[in-house]
Amino acid sequence: MKVLRLTTKLQLTLAALAFALTTGCASSTSVVVEADFPTVVYEPRDIRAAVVFEPAFREYIAQPTADVLIDIGGAQVDLLSNAFDGLFEQVEYPASREAVDPDTELVIVPSVQQVQMSTPSDSYLNVYEVWIKYSLDIETGDGVPVDSWFMPAYGKTPDSLLLSRSKAIREAALIALRDAGAKLLLDFYRIPAIYGWMQQEGRLEEADSS
Amino acid sequence: MMTRLLFLATAVSLSGCAATTTIDEFRPTDQLMDLAAGEKVVVLGRRDAGHYETDRAFVECVGDKLRGPNINLMSEQEFMDSIYPWFEPRTAPKNLTRLTRLMEVPMVRERIDEREIRYIVWLDGNTETGGAMGSMSCSFSPAGGGCLGFTQWDKESAYEAVVWDLKDLTEKGRVRVDSEGTSYVIGVVAPIPLLSPVKSNACSGLGNQLRSYFSQELG
Repeated sequence: MKVLRLTTKLQLTLAALAFALTTGCASSTSVVVEADFPTVVYEPRDIRAAVVFEPAFREYIAQPTADVLIDIGGAQVDLLSNAFDGLFEQVEYPASREAVDPDTELVIVPSVQQVQMSTPSDSYLNVYEVWIKYSLDIETGDGVPVDSWFMPAYGKTPDSLLLSRSKAIREAALIALRDAGAKLLLDFYRIPAIYGWMQQEGRLEEADSS
Repeated sequence: MMTRLLFLATAVSLSGCAATTTIDEFRPTDQLMDLAAGEKVVVLGRRDAGHYETDRAFVECVGDKLRGPNINLMSEQEFMDSIYPWFEPRTAPKNLTRLTRLMEVPMVRERIDEREIRYIVWLDGNTETGGAMGSMSCSFSPAGGGCLGFTQWDKESAYEAVVWDLKDLTEKGRVRVDSEGTSYVIGVVAPIPLLSPVKSNACSGLGNQLRSYFSQELG
């Protein structure tokens, strides 16, 4: 009888242990990306622009998988502000499209289309990867659409025993944000529609002669 | 008999833990490289390959080996921030032609000159683990516990360093280091790790070789 009671106790303990382990494994990861982004080394062009960061963009929290949340809202506003300050000589950041100054030449409204993530267990590679797909709606100050530019950004960081999952995801997201800034700075004036607009406005000669 | 066998196994294992490192270099000249007082060297990792990253710890390790009383080093992150966005994984120049074009951008040239950055050392490569064999099982109970078994794995490091001179925009040297070795864990009650220092040997080999480009003394 005593042996039977002991066996039951052992079974219960094992069951409790197994339950604790199973529920413990199903953890979720919540990451806030914060960083001081560097000022850019880039010659701004004499264009007066307005960039509208809508509330949804400012407070954007990505959910690339069911158990991962990445808060990139604040960081992407800081980073893109830095990049736009490098692109244009005069930039304003009004709260909404309606608040844009009528003398503004270009109005840009960025938005996030999608954020994807890959971990070593997904890809069998020794890296964490984050993709951020941005869309930039660009129009003239008087509301004529110029382009809707798709801007993908990518960041990866090596897997490491010393790096926790959340730290690895944060680093990969940070690298992806820096990549977004780099792509914006290097490719913005190469967008055919922007090039065409500058040609039309007679801005290419100014830029080439400066 | 048992003691002798254990002794033999340990001796074989320990000798097997050594890593074999090969260093190949190419330099157009064997003269020391000029580095005026105040001029800096920056060690950067290539991160544009799809399936691996030159990890920051290795870049820092080579930087530490290279650093000396006459060699000022700027950290990778400080350099990348000071020249953003031109040396990000997507935008960094892959060859001297691209570097020459980049240095024609006045703001970039000014920033490099302002920070007195004379040489860039590019590191590209990684360390791979493979050939895992054996098995070990560990068990613990209120009465005690222990491990029994034997496991081993191979590590292989392959890195290349390329030195660019930002003053005359030329390549000053190229060093390749290959290091390989086998690590073991023997489970006799407690697990005894016998690790082969593959990556640290690659770092020392590369760092010391690069340091000899600037100065005769080795640390």
